[in-house]
Amino acid sequence: MTGVTTDAVRDLIDRALEVYRDDPAALAVLDACYARVSDPLRVAMVGMVKAGKSTLLNAILGEEIAATDAGECTRIVTWYRYGDTPRVVIRRPDGASKELPVVRVKGRLTFDLGDETADDVGRLEVEWPSSTLRDITLIDTPGVASLSAAVSERSLGFLLPEGAPSETDAVIYLMRHLHDADISLLQSLHEGAAGLAGATNSVVVLSRADEAGSGRIDAMLSASAIADRFRHDESLADLVSAVVPVAGLLAQSARSLRQSDFTALAKLAALDRPQREKLLVSADRFVADSARPGSKDAARAALLERFGTFGIRLACSLIKGGVSDATSLSRELARRSGLDELLELVAGRFQARAAFLKADAALASVERVMKDHPHEGTVELEASIERLRATAHELRELTCLATLRTSPPVVEPALVDEAERLLGGKGVSEADRLGLGPDAPASEVEAAARAALATWRGLAGGAAADRATVALCQAVVRSCEAILAASGPGVSAAPRLVLAPEPSRRGWQETGHERRAS
Amino acid sequence: MSELVSLVERSIELTSGSDRTDLRQRLQQTRARLLDPDIRVMVVGEFKQGKSKLINALVGAPVCPVGDDVATSVPTVVRYGEEPSATLIFPAEGAVDPSPLTGADRVDRRSIPLDELAAHVSEKGNPHNSRHLVAAEAYLPRRILAGGLCLIDSPGVGGLGSSHSLSTLTALATADAVLLVSDASQEYTEPEMQFLDHARRMTPHLACIVTKTDLYPEWRRIAELDREHLDRVSRAIPLFAVSSDLRLHAGRENDDELNAESGFPALVHHLRANILGRSEAIHRRAACQDVAFVMDHLALALDAELSALEDPTGAQRVVAEMEAAKQRANDLRQKSARWQITLNDGIGDLISDMEYDLRDRLRSVQRDAELAIDEGDPGKEWDAFVDWIEQRISAAISDTFVWTNERTQWLSGEVAAHFAEQDVSLPVLRVDSTDDLLDAVDFMPELEPGHIGPVEKLLIGMRGSYGGVLMVGLITGIMGLALINPLSIAAGVLIGAKVYRDDKDARLKRRRADAKALVRRQVDEVIFQVGKQLKDRLRLVQRGTRDHFTKIADEYHRSLAESAAAVQVAATTRSAEGQTRIPELKSRLAEVRGVQSEARRLARGEAPATRPTPLAVIPEPKSAARPAGVGA
Repeated sequence: MTGVTTDAVRDLIDRALEVYRDDPAALAVLDACYARVSDPLRVAMVGMVKAGKSTLLNAILGEEIAATDAGECTRIVTWYRYGDTPRVVIRRPDGASKELPVVRVKGRLTFDLGDETADDVGRLEVEWPSSTLRDITLIDTPGVASLSAAVSERSLGFLLPEGAPSETDAVIYLMRHLHDADISLLQSLHEGAAGLAGATNSVVVLSRADEAGSGRIDAMLSASAIADRFRHDESLADLVSAVVPVAGLLAQSARSLRQSDFTALAKLAALDRPQREKLLVSADRFVADSARPGSKDAARAALLERFGTFGIRLACSLIKGGVSDATSLSRELARRSGLDELLELVAGRFQARAAFLKADAALASVERVMKDHPHEGTVELEASIERLRATAHELRELTCLATLRTSPPVVEPALVDEAERLLGGKGVSEADRLGLGPDAPASEVEAAARAALATWRGLAGGAAADRATVALCQAVVRSCEAILAASGPGVSAAPRLVLAPEPSRRGWQETGHERRAS
Repeated sequence: MSELVSLVERSIELTSGSDRTDLRQRLQQTRARLLDPDIRVMVVGEFKQGKSKLINALVGAPVCPVGDDVATSVPTVVRYGEEPSATLIFPAEGAVDPSPLTGADRVDRRSIPLDELAAHVSEKGNPHNSRHLVAAEAYLPRRILAGGLCLIDSPGVGGLGSSHSLSTLTALATADAVLLVSDASQEYTEPEMQFLDHARRMTPHLACIVTKTDLYPEWRRIAELDREHLDRVSRAIPLFAVSSDLRLHAGRENDDELNAESGFPALVHHLRANILGRSEAIHRRAACQDVAFVMDHLALALDAELSALEDPTGAQRVVAEMEAAKQRANDLRQKSARWQITLNDGIGDLISDMEYDLRDRLRSVQRDAELAIDEGDPGKEWDAFVDWIEQRISAAISDTFVWTNERTQWLSGEVAAHFAEQDVSLPVLRVDSTDDLLDAVDFMPELEPGHIGPVEKLLIGMRGSYGGVLMVGLITGIMGLALINPLSIAAGVLIGAKVYRDDKDARLKRRRADAKALVRRQVDEVIFQVGKQLKDRLRLVQRGTRDHFTKIADEYHRSLAESAAAVQVAATTRSAEGQTRIPELKSRLAEVRGVQSEARRLARGEAPATRPTPLAVIPEPKSAARPAGVGA
């Protein structure tokens, strides 16, 4: 049923295109809007310099194509989208584009911009035949707080464009420590452009998580404790709903683990522990060639570069524990790197409501066009948008979530948290909405939903303080009803479109789709 | 060192022969400083860079708490002690802010066992320093600390502009050297470079450390990149790549090779030779100069009396010369002396410039804030807004602070130069019959290359006067002044009056007005508080500088006056009595000369091969906010 909203939005854009047929500037924006609704969800990797954005991007792709380096590396916003054949295109700010040759050094793409500067380029688009990219478009951004102000500017310009809705639908925010720059950037994203419904659309990744625990075998436990603190940190409480620790380097290498890696790791695992720990005491010692003092053992250097000390320790103990082939080692390492948890979160938070996130963003763009280019005949469009927002409950949920923290309703603070959860701000499954475990029995889900419904009906019907609060309570009530309907026997947990009763006002142009849906 | 101490003690003995308590006091201070030089090295950096572990590795003991998550919450001073022990420093009862002026008097100390220290200074045991400790001190019997080295572990800074970083910055003013720590996981970021620039301007000796080289195979690349960034600021800042874990490991296993790989030997050498050694050399030379100075003054009276006895006819000429010199010394003590005018005018100008600068910077914050309020709804984004404005205010104060500090140093240099210009030299006695008296008065400048500038000497005294307490005064000026949310005021009024009508515009207008009033009040409060703190600081500098130079002038005056009196007495003494006094005077004079040349030998012989770079006299700081036409 998600297709219904998408169709309605497409239809609306069609009508807008008709209205603006004599205005090329507006048409360009609307065309982009149209494409956006059909394209896969756009997820941007954001964070300070050296947070590990490109590495994590490679890990999610399962292929090492984005260049990474010890020094500052990504300098241009780069889009990775699906294409049948590899292609690299420069898109200049003025709309012109130019194709670049696809050059890979050790698997990584290198972009030869020729005599063009990064500022001329605008952005790079990489088309790649990766199955992951069929569902999701990944956007790599340069780091914030870079020593080069221009690089930081490029990121900010992309994330928070002046006077336009953001081009990304969701954000994976990477941080190593809770730095001031992180908080202020998250805040701007949260309050930022229309089409980004704040915390709903971002998950925070505690990146390079293995390094927090100095690469020890229990490093990820420490990282989890830190992630937990972030989750409860006051300055982040309103900005972030999920924090996952991820050892990006390990995740990236695990997904592209080769048989030769496995053999090398197995050889290390065969050493007894004190011997191995003696090697691992420092990076320099590990790569030093015992036969030829002063030179490097190339195989070990490559292993350390790809897996890090934590990865090597973990792999050795896994192999000793019985993991006997490259495939299962790869799977186990990826799981323990935190990547699986992140992917689940991305699926639950972003993909489950992708259609609505995109629809919401597209509607915001259309509204922006109407504001910037006043034109006859837009009154009806405006009415349609308002109606679409009012009737498609998922869109209403997004709107409510976006305003929930910035202009809180006049209810107890604990209830604000509950409202956020029920509206799907912490995951869209029934259990997530009710704050129950994923395995909660149907009866428990139903009981919890009924209790929530009663609470919020009371609030909506009671003498609430103002109109905004009443509207919010009504939205939450509808969400509760939807949970109840879904938790009934034989209903799948797929996202649903819940429609409000037809508005009684006449004179609104029918799009027809809502009716079909109801 | 012991040689020097015994020399100072011999000089003290010599002064007790005369009634010059002023000179004796000076030497006693010198002796105390020599015995406990207290060279403060602050370790600073963003959090999780390995600051505490660096200190642990340096002293080879787990004194400072370390952990995977943010660990240090209270500044911790690690210094030498015969027995391992620790002290917690609290603000004294009733003292709201342990400010630099009153510092030492207004704190309470409590001794605890060393192994309990972590529970008090770690984020775990004392989150966000909720117990309000000013600092903690740990004492360890370690060779590296024996020379008076104090290592100060500071809580990590989460980016410039945070109030945390401001308190670190103010503490830098009391440090002899600063180690800026950043780990090998990445090159310097923009906030680190900004902090580095401020630190460089605040402290005489800055060194950069790249930590955790055991963990990152690419650490050499990172160190190179950092070096490049540093070179753009200054080539003189040294950079060391170290691994604290390797050093600690090496210590446990007694593995010299591993210790060498940890990179610590180079850092320890630098600490010893360049930071400790240089400070020590300065202290030494200052001590030698003090001894030579006092001996000059003692010798003068003896010389004068002797010459008058040996040649009574020349006495009147000597007295006349001395009277003239005494007059010059007296002039130097007067308020109208050039250095005094420079100092008083300079401080006056500096205070008004500082106030202007602070006001100007905060005004622009206020303007931006009002614009932001007009553009949006202050009720909605209030919390974010408060964070933003606190950051902006912190950044503004940091700038003013660093700038004021630079100008203070520059002013001290000016004053010292003017004092030196007018320096009353002790007159050379020209008594024909006594050849050996001619080379008697050997002036301080001839102590080269052991000579140290008057500014450096002044600063030795000044840093000491801050006491053992880290300066945390400034920060209290902006903390604890919680802003009230204009939304809550408006909502309270509305609900209280049971007004349900949706008068949005009026409410928004009122919220904006409320918010602006709050911002204005906050900015005024900050200007008042911080302005007062900075003014107090400048007054402290003024008093310190004035006392320092006045004392010298007093000593000159007194020496000359007493010598002139001695000459006059000697001139009227009957020759028979005089003849018996001559050998006594000669022997005392020989003793004084002996000590004097010993001091000179020590100063010359033990001076480092390279001449120490004089403390940078900073030219006019460039600042857009500086009002035109003001200056010393």
